[in-house]
Amino acid sequence: MTIKTNTGRPYSSRRAGAVIALAIALSAGACQKANDRLLQITDPDIINPSDVLSPDAAIALANGAISTFRSTTGGNIAGGVESSWMFGGLLADEWSTSSTFIQNDETDQRVIQENNGSVTGQLRNLYRTRQRANEAIAALTKVNQTARALIAEMYLARGFAELQLASDFCNGIPISNVFSSEPTNTNPQSTAQVFAYAAASLDSAISFANGTDAQSVVINRAARVVRGRAALALGDFVNAASFVAAVPSSFAYQHTFSLSSSTNTLWGQGLSSRRYSVGDSLEGNRRDIFVANALPFASSRDPRLPVTIPTTGAINGQDGLTYARTTTLWGQLTAVDVANGIDARMIEAEAALKAGNTTSWLSIHNALRAAPPKLGDVQPAALPALVDPGTAESRLSLQFREKAFWTFGRGERLGDMRRLIKQYGRTEANTFPQGVHYKGGSYGKDVNLPVSFDERNNPNFKGCTDRAP
Amino acid sequence: MPHNWRLSALAGLLVLAAPLARAQQSPGGSLAVTVTDAASTRPVEAARVFIVGTSIASATAADGKITLRGIPAGPQTVRFLRVGYAEQTKAITITVGQTVTLSVAMSVAAINLQPVVTTATGEQRRVEIGNATANIDAAKVLEVAPVGSLSDLLNSRAPGVTVTTGTQTGTGSRIRVRGMNSVSLSNEPIWIIDGIRMTSTQADFSTVTGSGGTTGGNNASRTGDLNPDEIESIEIVKGPSAATLYGTDAANGVILVTTKKGRAGAARWSVTGEGGSIQDRNFYPYAYSIFGKRPGETVSTRGFCNLQRVGTGECKADSTTALNIFDNADLTPIDVGNRQKLGVQVSGGTEALRYFVGVEEEKEVGALSLPQFERRRVDSLGLPLRPWTSRPNALDRKTLRLNLNATLNPKLDVALTTNFINLSQRYSLESNATAGLGSQVFGGPGTIDNGAISGVGTPLMGYRAWTPYYTWSEKTGQSINRFIWSTQANWRPTTWLTNHVTVGNDWTGRVDDNLLYRGEGPPLTATTRLGSRGINSVNINNLSVDAGSAAQYHLTSALRLTTTVGAQYIGFRSQGAQTGSRQLAPGSQNVGSGTQLVIGEATTIQRTFGVFIDQAVAIRERLFLTAAVRSDQNSAFGTNFQSVLYPKASMSYLISEEDWWKAPRFINSVRLRYSYGQSGVQPGPNDALRFYDGGITSVAGVDQPTVIQAALGNANLKPERSAEQETGFEVTMLNGRLNLDATYYSKITQDALISAILPPSYGAVTSQLRNLGAVKNAGAELAINAQLADGKFFGWNVNLSGAMNANKVVSLGDNPPQIGTTSRTVAGYPIAGLWAQPITGWQDKNGDGLLTYFADATKNEVFIGDSVIFRGYATPPYSATLTNGFEFFGKKLRLQTMFDYRGGNKWYNNTERIRCTRPNCSGRNNLTAQFVDQATNIAANEAPARTLDGYFQPGAFVRLREASVQYSFSNTLASKLIKARSLSVVLSARNLKLWTKYRGTDPESGFNTTGTGDAPQEFQTIGPPSYLVFRVNVGY
Repeated sequence: MTIKTNTGRPYSSRRAGAVIALAIALSAGACQKANDRLLQITDPDIINPSDVLSPDAAIALANGAISTFRSTTGGNIAGGVESSWMFGGLLADEWSTSSTFIQNDETDQRVIQENNGSVTGQLRNLYRTRQRANEAIAALTKVNQTARALIAEMYLARGFAELQLASDFCNGIPISNVFSSEPTNTNPQSTAQVFAYAAASLDSAISFANGTDAQSVVINRAARVVRGRAALALGDFVNAASFVAAVPSSFAYQHTFSLSSSTNTLWGQGLSSRRYSVGDSLEGNRRDIFVANALPFASSRDPRLPVTIPTTGAINGQDGLTYARTTTLWGQLTAVDVANGIDARMIEAEAALKAGNTTSWLSIHNALRAAPPKLGDVQPAALPALVDPGTAESRLSLQFREKAFWTFGRGERLGDMRRLIKQYGRTEANTFPQGVHYKGGSYGKDVNLPVSFDERNNPNFKGCTDRAP
Repeated sequence: MPHNWRLSALAGLLVLAAPLARAQQSPGGSLAVTVTDAASTRPVEAARVFIVGTSIASATAADGKITLRGIPAGPQTVRFLRVGYAEQTKAITITVGQTVTLSVAMSVAAINLQPVVTTATGEQRRVEIGNATANIDAAKVLEVAPVGSLSDLLNSRAPGVTVTTGTQTGTGSRIRVRGMNSVSLSNEPIWIIDGIRMTSTQADFSTVTGSGGTTGGNNASRTGDLNPDEIESIEIVKGPSAATLYGTDAANGVILVTTKKGRAGAARWSVTGEGGSIQDRNFYPYAYSIFGKRPGETVSTRGFCNLQRVGTGECKADSTTALNIFDNADLTPIDVGNRQKLGVQVSGGTEALRYFVGVEEEKEVGALSLPQFERRRVDSLGLPLRPWTSRPNALDRKTLRLNLNATLNPKLDVALTTNFINLSQRYSLESNATAGLGSQVFGGPGTIDNGAISGVGTPLMGYRAWTPYYTWSEKTGQSINRFIWSTQANWRPTTWLTNHVTVGNDWTGRVDDNLLYRGEGPPLTATTRLGSRGINSVNINNLSVDAGSAAQYHLTSALRLTTTVGAQYIGFRSQGAQTGSRQLAPGSQNVGSGTQLVIGEATTIQRTFGVFIDQAVAIRERLFLTAAVRSDQNSAFGTNFQSVLYPKASMSYLISEEDWWKAPRFINSVRLRYSYGQSGVQPGPNDALRFYDGGITSVAGVDQPTVIQAALGNANLKPERSAEQETGFEVTMLNGRLNLDATYYSKITQDALISAILPPSYGAVTSQLRNLGAVKNAGAELAINAQLADGKFFGWNVNLSGAMNANKVVSLGDNPPQIGTTSRTVAGYPIAGLWAQPITGWQDKNGDGLLTYFADATKNEVFIGDSVIFRGYATPPYSATLTNGFEFFGKKLRLQTMFDYRGGNKWYNNTERIRCTRPNCSGRNNLTAQFVDQATNIAANEAPARTLDGYFQPGAFVRLREASVQYSFSNTLASKLIKARSLSVVLSARNLKLWTKYRGTDPESGFNTTGTGDAPQEFQTIGPPSYLVFRVNVGY
């Protein structure tokens, strides 16, 4: 078809159409290449997996694991939550809540909801410590095999996280000792099984930390202490003592802090924000609410735990109501002991007591009391020697009381109270805080933290197997 | 290369259309038109004049005249459209080289409907579109309504569009169009201004070292930067059926903003001055404490006793103290705020070059103010009183706009729009910030004798942990410099072909800053009062390129076709650098003086490229059919997913134009509509990627670099795809005095993106975005406009609109329900619905006037269901707006009211929840508390269920949202009085009265309104204020 346009020039529309169509089609091809380039973006905020294959990157991954590990102990409020060291202490008798957060209050009141967001965060951080340690182990093994002490530290982190999981959480913890870089649904395990995983991980740590360099020695001793704790939890008292026998009382494996990275959360939540008040057997601002079973951490005036007990509202808690009892045990940058020689002595003492060797038990304690190692920022004065209280039950109480003061705030108390029930025949009613709670209602019955509701996204998990100690 | 065949297809179709269209092309003539008002005979400005079936169109100048050139010879139809007037068409015959002169007198329409709407393919007659259209004549609204922000302009003016605004001056809004499509992504619509993508980021505020991180509540949104006075109109494209051609993130709707343009004629000046007051007239709850004695005690004290313990006998109550800080003139942190605005606009020009220039400054100081008792203390102690401490919430906005439109020749016109915005605003730390006001003012114990601030010694005077002076010592502010420009060229090489290209950029330079001098502020932590300073500098760039061609041609005299092809590129980039420090040097406000440095960097990049083709067919100018398809690629799609294709089709049928149509005489016209279309919402820029974050940590006392997994990624990630069917009808009756517009829609979102919560045992990140679910929204919208009286001395028009939306998660794929503390996303129920174990009843069995929980069921007085069940929508599924306008004395005096209803939902009164744990709520500490409040507290804090059900309270309300009185002086009087062309004065008010059964402050009061989630709640939130504004409009 040929028509005349208004310019009067003859024009073949089909031919022109074909030319235009071809031109546009060619343009489209060019356009697509340009388009592909156009849509390519590089985000400077992120690190791609291909960039973490070098020896340096493996070390950075290990550092990341240590950072996460620290979030399960005394630092890094990762995801807005403190560690289970602190929540375990709330559930036990170490800390009392002076926070406005319902998550803290219900934990202190021992009626923890399964969707408690803080507990969820703590659980995640424990699992992440395991996973990130595993990732670092894999990377170090691949590109930096000579870093045996660092690999050992990763096993230590993993084992410690497993120990803390089992110490603080209910039966039915989904976990596996088969590791994958991809997310995997695992089956719930009893706390005893999880303690066994911890033991295995720590055995690996001890095995890798077999050098004579300073870092290997530190990691070896730390792994032995934590392995000893796992052995205690598994009822293996004899081996527990042997694991720690060579660890000096002055030893400490610490998590450290800096202003530019992260500060001490035990200080941050305690002395600084006053969300946590040092626990006591007398609660309420007038200190007239008796809490059965709770150790008098504040009112005992023990030199190992210096506490300011306000009698007016001059130092209120973060809730604006509670006269917050604060301790100067930690400052903003005070390193926290993850494992130390005191732990070693407490393991030995308990093993001795279990073995009926009262003399040895008492001498271990009194040696420590005579020359107390530094605790956080505090160098306690020498403590008077203990006297044998004379009965098995009272010795047991004294053992755990002494340990509670030596290890205050370091995530051991809840596990120990559970062990009192599981291994020594005590009951919830004569171990955990009881009675009226100063913030309303009464103490509930929880003796552990629940594996959180989020875990129900794992089809193998249907909730805690039980909430037994 | 997934786009190749599509581009080729588009090109081919356009080429096929060419011969057909070209065949119609012939030498042309001109048309000179004069449009006047039929009643007054005055010229009608801005009437759109179209030559039907061609690309030739223009608008009349101030003198009502326009000349169209290059019109093909032969018979033509001319169509005249103007908002407020009835559409007209005229048949003419064009002769080559001749000018036809035509005078048209347009009759005023009883009802104001926008006859032309903006679509992705260009401007179209409203009746030709198969969708319901919502158009807001911004200039008209602003003449009378109390509009302080773009949110006010949108709110309650379009059925199906729900706007909820933050309560502090300068905070943004949540906008939902036809419900919520997405479980995990934002449900906010996208914005387009003058043809380019506008940055509309929500909660666009973040401090580096501020104690709240943000404001602790609502934040700025970038849509709030715009000056409503510069806007000509807003169109809301409601759903995928209409939004298909807007691309892969338009499923939540599109808001199209058209700014004012100049019109040919002498310069016309418009000066606007505004002043007014801002008052907080809300209800706020009392705080209570019980004084009582435990058994054996002789001294009555506060703290131990509460109603439960009184009920169980653990305590004997002696008295209750009560205090409402807001009701105490000396204590209240509320005062009267104020607002001023002065703006000048001028427009004019020639037919060849038209201009619009607007400049304006707006200042607003919110109602928050340092209490009187604090001012006295500050005076007496000689403490510094900084502006942000005295009035913590304020806004100062300056805007400058220059819009140019040039007709370079009959075939080519170009437009340039430029807009500069300078904004400075500051906020109070509020709701969800421990340091904020809400935590203190709602948290006190119900007595002014509650001691002193920890470690500082200042009397608390009924506040919880510190007083407003300490909270507001910290400055939390944002400053914005923003430049939006776009340029558009329309080239009509022939009468049948129009090509356009639009290029523009929206650049925002944002600085969020926080400052707390050393020695000031609350004792939040041991280091808070050592000072802090932060600067968060963010550059946001939103680049748009939009090009397209439209060919119009007649297949037969009854068949008019329009083929449109287009391509679009959107490039978004946000790049920020954070610098902050803590522990400042005394007296310093310099970030460099802090001992604890905080630095960071954040970048977001996202790019989209899309193409579309749209084929429209007009059959005998009464049946309009459209089919179209759009394809998009986006940088956020997973590597296994390349592009997405969205189809659409629509029909508009002016059935009453048919010869066979029989209807009662009072029915003037009937139009039927149907449309189907798809659109999407894309994932976030990095959601598809697996990646790590870098950081630092202290290892053995030395800072070391870290690498930590930050995202699992998802290589299969693709956009959500929403498909919508919409049908409806419009009826015009009684000679245009009554219009009825009804719409039903049903849309389903497939491949819904769900932020799947990962089991903690994975040891990975918390969630992973997956395409798993499906969400359905169905609803109806109704709008009735009626001119009930239109006399010389009295006129009365009524607009009634209503909407309902049923939202349901159809599927979550393999994912279990998403469970939060109060809201859950469960298949079969609405997104973010409220769930709880229900309070099934209560009974004061022992007749002591108190409800008490007992473990013993025979004694227990509050009854709670065993299972967690759905308790209601978190946002209103029903809404209705009634606007009445009364005109007197020849329309010189106009009264207007707007009543707004929303309901069908529950509103989470989280303020009361936390008050009960402080504890100071009535249900816990007031001996004369209503049983409903007692049961609420018992269920939440005493019964093992710990259910929050009682705090989910009826959300329905009726609000007198707007009322105004306008008086327009006659032109003669305006000239005599101030030598002006026009003069009007307006007294208007906003949020005048609220009727509700909600037991909190306000069922629209949300602390998280500007967040991306859909579970709004009141949480220690200061309620929405009332505005009373006087405005003067003068024209020269």
